[in-house]
Amino acid sequence: MIEVKALSKAYGPRTVLDRVSLAFQPGQVVSLIGPSGGGKSTLLRCLNGLESFDGGEITIVGEKLVPGGAQRNKKALAAIRCKVGMVFQQWNLFAHRTAVGNIIEAPVHVKGLTVAAATERAHALLTRVGLGHRADAYPHEMSGGEQQRVAIARALAMDPVALLLDEPTSALDPERVGEVLDVLTGLAGGGLTMLVVTHEMRFAREVSDRVLVLHGGSVIEDGPPGEVLVRPQHERTRAFLGLDRQARAEPG
Amino acid sequence: MYGARLLGPLLTSLTLIACSGESTSDDALQRVRDAGVLRWGADVQGGAPYIYEDPDNEGKVKGFEVDLAEALAAELGVKAEFVQNDWSALVPSLERGTFDIVMNGLEVTPARTGRVLFTRPYYVFASRLMARRDDPSVTADLDSVKGKRVGTLTNSFTADQLLAKGIEPVYYEGTDEPYQDLIAGRIDAVFHDDIIAGRYGEYRPELRVVGDFKDGFYAIATQKTDKSLHDAVDAALEKLIQSGRLEEILREEKIWNDRQLGLTAWSEADQRRLLGEATVSTLRWHHIVTFIEAAGVTLVLSFLAMAIAIPLGLFLAVCRLYGGGVVSRLATAYVEIYRGTPVLLQLYVLYYGLADVIKLDAFSAAVIGLGMNYAAYEAEVYRAGIQAVPRGQMEAALSLGMKTPLALRRVILPQGFRLALPSVTNDFIALLKDSSLVSVITVVELTKRMTITAVDVRSWMIPGALCALLYFVMSYPLSLFARRLEARLARS
Repeated sequence: MIEVKALSKAYGPRTVLDRVSLAFQPGQVVSLIGPSGGGKSTLLRCLNGLESFDGGEITIVGEKLVPGGAQRNKKALAAIRCKVGMVFQQWNLFAHRTAVGNIIEAPVHVKGLTVAAATERAHALLTRVGLGHRADAYPHEMSGGEQQRVAIARALAMDPVALLLDEPTSALDPERVGEVLDVLTGLAGGGLTMLVVTHEMRFAREVSDRVLVLHGGSVIEDGPPGEVLVRPQHERTRAFLGLDRQARAEPG
Repeated sequence: MYGARLLGPLLTSLTLIACSGESTSDDALQRVRDAGVLRWGADVQGGAPYIYEDPDNEGKVKGFEVDLAEALAAELGVKAEFVQNDWSALVPSLERGTFDIVMNGLEVTPARTGRVLFTRPYYVFASRLMARRDDPSVTADLDSVKGKRVGTLTNSFTADQLLAKGIEPVYYEGTDEPYQDLIAGRIDAVFHDDIIAGRYGEYRPELRVVGDFKDGFYAIATQKTDKSLHDAVDAALEKLIQSGRLEEILREEKIWNDRQLGLTAWSEADQRRLLGEATVSTLRWHHIVTFIEAAGVTLVLSFLAMAIAIPLGLFLAVCRLYGGGVVSRLATAYVEIYRGTPVLLQLYVLYYGLADVIKLDAFSAAVIGLGMNYAAYEAEVYRAGIQAVPRGQMEAALSLGMKTPLALRRVILPQGFRLALPSVTNDFIALLKDSSLVSVITVVELTKRMTITAVDVRSWMIPGALCALLYFVMSYPLSLFARRLEARLARS
């Protein structure tokens, strides 16, 4: 469903992605972890063309992306973005629209749904993320956790086959993280492919089927959470997870 | 030549001191003598043959009034100093002391005789009506131009004659433009002093002289209180007339004719008759009605100009930000050119300069000219507004499958416009006042109406206050609106 072949990208002299090759199966829930600057977010943003890349290719939902940015991939991106949703660290809700307004915007203007149909659907989605009562609230009237849940509902309104989540809980107050993770946990296992860039190890361990560790633009670990998070192969992963310290603290 | 000039004034000043001893109670003449200069106000824009820039001598002016001023100053034993001043504001500038005398084709009219002291006339002119050669409907009867568009100068002797006939003139600030517009068909006739007609109208083969009407007189004005200066200048002028010097000066500019013969025998009775026509005109109800109508013109003009500026500005801002390459550079060039040149010049070019290409009527030219100018400012305001919308908004829109134009229309522009709205309102208030500039292309709006009325009623105070009040009444609600918008934006 998603196939990445020898993907490369550099910002000037700094290599961000170094010939990354990956494949994701439908319905997989994948956590991308690793130190900052490792290329996690860039990889995710390349998948729906918010970021261009320099080499390699991406095949996603039957469409192929090549280097050269939005100009060269117009048709493919139009198809991809309708089928692959994105959730941002800073939510990025449309500031001039209510919760419902945010959710119906793309279904009405991109897919051509009637406002009535889209609105009905929006209310159902809001209920699903636990915000049935906040339908008419504007972004500035909502907490970060509420806004992120609306953003998830907004992405779901396009009926995506895959969801890309870029650090969805990193900008939230600690007590708000749980409500967003609960929603994501509810989505996992429902057939939706999810790629989540995250620092939430509990989510990575308990919810995802597969964990990737990116470091220096390369995938240095790839496997089920039980292996990657418990017995990582790479020294850098052990350092990132703090396993060495743990090992010293609990001798034997 | 210089030696003779130096000796002459010495003698005259001696005689003048001797003569003016008994009746002088003010110190105006003494003031001029102490300063050693006679400051005279005129407008170079009036052009030849009155006063104009010397083509052979950069930075110098010439003209029959320049020669006359020098001759008069010499008679008074001082030097002449020319002070440039907008023609329509010569009298108020005289009153506030910007210069000692006005001499610039200032016609003796009843409205003016109440405000200033006039010397004997130095030129007699005829009011000359001109029309297109191919238009026989204009005849040697002012009634034939009733209901037609007749161009003239604001507050002029000819304008007064038209108004007396119930004809509302089309007001020009320059002398050449009305003849251009007459050929272009924007107006049907031009009614001017024969000097102006002779210089700017008669050489044009498309035009014909229809006929001459009332004679008028140019005289030199001093302040009401400057009796001593008035008497001295009048005496000096009389000397120049009698000595034939005035005739020489007039012949030099080829404007001497038989009409001027009457000046040599000008008597006190003639002067009394000339000034005797002074009528007291006060601010009346009909003035207030015309003010309110002119305010309406200002308001409609501003609204229409803004209706062009807003969408055009938005288009320019989007081109600049998202057009890329050539489109973006063209939009930038538009903004820089329109912001970097005076709107007055743009109006001139649009109305007179492009008259051969596109013949706009004055009001349309005013709306389009102001609209295109303000579009440049609006473009910058919207650009700032759009750039203030966080980048994540565009990314979110794109990630939902919106194409860039749709994302702009549905997500970015509504937010950017909202951020820009207080500035847009402020710009509209500025436009409301800038709209007074369109009087240069003959549109009579509030400020122009005020200057016309002020001369008519011989007071700037009340018309000025009324004009200010009307501007305030129009702009204050907008200020309140802008403030409320800003408060609402700050909340969200």
